[in-house]
Amino acid sequence: MAETVIAKDVATDVALLEVRDLKVHFPFARGPIWNREHGAVRAVDGVSFEVRAGETFGLVGESGCGKSTTARAILNLIPSTSGQVLLDGQPIHGRSDARMRPYRRQLQMIFQDPFASLNPRMTVGRIIGEPMQIFNLHRPRERPLEVMRLMERVGLNPRYVRRYPHEFSGGQRQRIGIARALAVEPRLIVCDEPVSALDVSIQAQVVNLLMELQAELGVAYVFIAHDLSVVRHISHRVGVMYLGRLVEVAECQDLFEHPRHPYTQALLSAVPVPDPRIERTRQRVVLGGEVPSPEFVYPGCPFADRCPIAEPDCIEHVPSLEGDRHQVSCHLVERVI
Amino acid sequence: MTKPILQVENLSVQFNTDDGLVRAVNDVSFAVHAGETLGIVGESGSGKSVTHLALLGLIPQPPGQVTAGTAIYDGRDLLQLCTGELADVRGRRVAMIFQDPMTSLNPFLTVAEQLTEVTQRHLGHSRRQALDHAVSMLERVGIGNASRRIADYPHQFSGGMRQRVMIAMALSCRPDVLIADEPTTALDVTIQAQILDLMRQLQREEGTAIIMITHDLGVIANVCDRVNVMYAGRFVEEATVDDLFARPRHPYTLGLLESVPRLDEAASAELIPIEGQPPDLVQIPPGCAFEPRCRFAVERCSTERPTLSAGSDGTRYACFVDVETAPRREAHHG
Repeated sequence: MAETVIAKDVATDVALLEVRDLKVHFPFARGPIWNREHGAVRAVDGVSFEVRAGETFGLVGESGCGKSTTARAILNLIPSTSGQVLLDGQPIHGRSDARMRPYRRQLQMIFQDPFASLNPRMTVGRIIGEPMQIFNLHRPRERPLEVMRLMERVGLNPRYVRRYPHEFSGGQRQRIGIARALAVEPRLIVCDEPVSALDVSIQAQVVNLLMELQAELGVAYVFIAHDLSVVRHISHRVGVMYLGRLVEVAECQDLFEHPRHPYTQALLSAVPVPDPRIERTRQRVVLGGEVPSPEFVYPGCPFADRCPIAEPDCIEHVPSLEGDRHQVSCHLVERVI
Repeated sequence: MTKPILQVENLSVQFNTDDGLVRAVNDVSFAVHAGETLGIVGESGSGKSVTHLALLGLIPQPPGQVTAGTAIYDGRDLLQLCTGELADVRGRRVAMIFQDPMTSLNPFLTVAEQLTEVTQRHLGHSRRQALDHAVSMLERVGIGNASRRIADYPHQFSGGMRQRVMIAMALSCRPDVLIADEPTTALDVTIQAQILDLMRQLQREEGTAIIMITHDLGVIANVCDRVNVMYAGRFVEEATVDDLFARPRHPYTLGLLESVPRLDEAASAELIPIEGQPPDLVQIPPGCAFEPRCRFAVERCSTERPTLSAGSDGTRYACFVDVETAPRREAHHG
């Protein structure tokens, strides 16, 4: 008995998804032909993390930090420049569409914009049924039933199976997107800002649905959002991105209660809390300036020029993500605590 | 209490659409005083933007129509002014900042051209004066190297910087009232913190009254003195910011507060969503518009519409039920 328990623990500890030193650079050339400037936007610049089966890994950061690019590169929707993406230990980066296909069944995505991500000319039934057809799941005769069962599961009335996306509200469309992702029984769903376009009262409905589905089906999420409160609510572990790199990765509660990287600290202190008494007394670390362009190649820490505690050394040496359960990428981390 | 700087009474706005008559704003009244920040919170389609666009005559008519109400500013009713008179008020006395700083700046004109236009029109500045003033405004809102950057076009600025330009433009004639419609929604949190700080600082210096329209309860808690909660075109609760968050009296307000996750709260706290969706403004139910989604609804709610009335602590709310004592209905699915 005891042995099986241990075995089970080991099994859940194995990474379902492993991202190793992922880089996505977009090369550009601009300027007049006699003075051409070549370079690359380093959207993702060496990102490593892993996601275990059944857990939610939150990825946060400001716009342009590379969260969505990371998501798309994981799914092979855009080619990565270097690095590895392993699903169950199998490399899936750089695969052709045909060779990627078997993995698509295990790896699905939910998009931010529930308007643009559903084909307006397909009925809900076809949208949710098509993935089953592609992967030849269920007997053809049973598929319509399966579609309706899924609709019910995500909180849509199965009677609406013949309706088109425009007949639904934003929150309902996001449920359609979730049902479509679930149709192939994936093990991991990458959610790219799934609730950002929704009103607050509807956001909670969708967040609760995602959490229920995880508890029930054991699906893992990579949950990308710029809303830190939502990420705290849904994630088990969280990675904070800045300029294409992860600056801090930790267990959710640990990260939000004891942030160690100066950027994470500033980011957390900038989020207003819906309580005026707390708001009046909170200490803020207001960062000067803005996120610099990801075109530059930094010899040192990319956050150094906005960092409130940077030292001359920071501009010269690139820090690496260090630590075991709580990883931080900062030379001065010992001082920050 | 001192006389309010802007007093709106019984404002109603409707739109004639193909789907029918949309009653976007119904019988809305509020007042703002110098130096205070009034928050208007509500979800998309609740009528919070339309209310304020109507004040400045920015509702296209037709299809829109202001059917009732007065908006007294400086002894005059803004809703009765002719186009020319209104143009003297807009930007000069009552200014507005919009959500999207990219679409609200003209991409074909440099920042200098857009910033100097306001003061030349309203304050009779010469080109030279206007340019000097514009540069000093840009410096005040924290744009470095302002004398050079002023010749740039909007696309050469980042989102946060563009919103600073918008604020500089809105404040360059020192208006009495600043209407900020979701000014930080399109911005990242660290930039949002900068912009809110800036607005607070400028308000302290100038004594401007600010109307802050937003759906973000965190922003409301951060900057507002008083708050109006809007649902389906009506105010459902009016309270000071402390009362609103400490003792929400309307079930919708309570629902909003319970449905947002908080950064300072561990994940164990369950989110309680508001079931269902906001009503179609073409067919607002005869009773309380929130009744179909309300967990406290009693029989009376579906036939009779509660009016805003003052509770014991001065908070005004439109509900028959006392949310602190009334029983809650279990969440119903559908």
